[in-house]
This record gives sequence, C-alpha cells and structure tokens, in this order.
Amino acid sequence: MAHPSDVAAQPVQRYRLRVGMLAWIFHRLSGLALVGYLVLHVWGLKAITNPDAYNALITSYHAPLFKVGEFLLLCAVVYHALNGLRIVLIDFVGWSPNQRRLFWTLGAVAVVLIGVGGYPSIAALIDYLNG
Amino acid sequence: MSTKYGRTSRSSAFQWFAHRVSGTFLIFLLITHFWVQHFDRVTASVSHSVISADEAERGAMPRYSEEAAEAVRAFEVRERQAPAPSGTPAVTVQGGGGIEGDAPGPTHPPEETASVTPYQVLMLRLADPVYAVLWKGFNLLFLLFALHHGFYGLNNVLTDYIRNDMLRVGATALSWTVALVLFLIGSYSVIVAGL
Repeated sequence: MAHPSDVAAQPVQRYRLRVGMLAWIFHRLSGLALVGYLVLHVWGLKAITNPDAYNALITSYHAPLFKVGEFLLLCAVVYHALNGLRIVLIDFVGWSPNQRRLFWTLGAVAVVLIGVGGYPSIAALIDYLNG
Repeated sequence: MSTKYGRTSRSSAFQWFAHRVSGTFLIFLLITHFWVQHFDRVTASVSHSVISADEAERGAMPRYSEEAAEAVRAFEVRERQAPAPSGTPAVTVQGGGGIEGDAPGPTHPPEETASVTPYQVLMLRLADPVYAVLWKGFNLLFLLFALHHGFYGLNNVLTDYIRNDMLRVGATALSWTVALVLFLIGSYSVIVAGL
C-alpha cells in the first residue's frame, strides 16, 4: 500500500483547495490555454505573406464567435499576467506575508483591466446581435 | 537530490529564474502588442466590426477608422509618386465591405466606416523602413520570449503529470520540436512581411 504522500502512486493528482491553490490551478489552466492560442496564432499568421489570405484571416477574426474568444483571451492573459506578477513579487521581493491580500488587490485590478479592455469586443457583439 | 527518478545534477534554478524574467518582460511586450494591434486608431489590425461567415463569404471585410483610411490613402499617393521598387506590384485600392447595400450587412460602429483592407493597414505599418525594422525586431523578440515562456511552462505541467519516464521524455522532445518549428515559421512570417 502506497503511503498517501507518495505522489507518484496516486492515479489522479488531487489538490487541497485554498485561495493560493486555486490561484495556482487557474494559473496552470490559463497558461495551457494561452499556449494553445499561441500555437494557433503563430500558425495562422503564415498568411501574412499573401494579401488575400491575410485579408481572409483578419476578416475571420471578426466573426461573432471570435469576439467572445477575444474577450476570454483577454481574461486569460490578464489573469496569467497579474498572478505571474504576484508570484514574482513573492519570490523576488519577499511579499509572501502579503500574498493573500496581494491576490485580491490584483484581482480587483484584473476586473478593471478586463472591463475596460473587453468592453469594445462585447459592445460590438451586442450591437451585432441586436441587428 | 535523489528521487525515484535517480540523481539529478541540474537544479534548474536558472530556468526557474529565466521563467520569471521572461514572464515579467512579456507583460511589457504584450502591452505594446495590444496597443499597436487593437487600440491605436491608425495601426490596429483588428477593429470592432463583427462579420459573420456568410458576410465574409460575400466579400465583406472589417471596417477601419477614418484616420487609418486617410493614412493609407496618403501612403498610396506617396507610393505612386515615388517609383515603386522593381518587382513590387502597386497596391490597388479596393473597397472592403463592398456589400453594404445588402441586408443584413456587417455591423460597424459609427466611427469605423472606412473601407481599406486589413492588408493595406498592415502595409502602411510596414512602409516606414525604420518602423518596419523596429516592428520586425520587436516581433522576433516577442515570438522568442512567448514561445520559450509558453513551452517551458507547458513542460512544467507535462513533467508534473506524466509519470512514465519514456512518455515524459517523448512529450518534452515533441513539445520543444513544435516550439522550434513555430519559431521558424513565425520568424519567416515576420521577416518576409511587407518585403
């Protein structure tokens, strides 16, 4: 029988959920999503060498679904960037005693950035849906 | 350090440090990227138009701000006056979103009504040789940092969850190969754009 602390013996990784752990899990998930986006983005931009293909690509970026995607991308980027900044402050500046307060402070900053940055995409989409 | 996986002589401390440095640097690169591509009224490639697949099929294209259109027109007048570099076909002005009469048409915010194509906006950005060099340098740096940061992070995740040694090494090799291929493709796109 494996000892419970023997991580490699557990079939599925389980985590104890606290604010710090949730922050870390979301950091991983948003990071994975951003890598996926990066691959598609770099691959798609091959079209830059051909005017017609480039126009078609950029036009496809304006599809209704892409406006939603644009907003979700912004959410992932803002969260990953600000939580990453929090990690850097904890690691390099020694802010670990403040990390929980820092998480909520940066959370508020994230909401503002997402609101201001994401408003045009969502407003354009709502306009479109209203005809 | 001795583990189930044997002794390791590498602490990976440098990679750990570099991941934080590249992450911080990427924040600044991203802010610039967002500004140029999405918020600057002249250079933004992605505007606020919403265009369905049907409309795109009928030739609709995103609309840009009047500032962008004016800059494109001025640029094309300058191009026509100066002898074009040999082998470069002159850019012809073609109306994007020419199906405006059809209902229902694409939705354009009132301030974005100019019909220039996304490619014309891109060429405008690349027309200034100094800016083109800066822009290319910036994007190569951005590409390198984004790919390294992204794939290093991806490998942290892969090594955490893949417990079979062979599979883990395979996944690492495969992911870095993908990263290298993307770097080559991306660099090629950046370098040849507008040439």
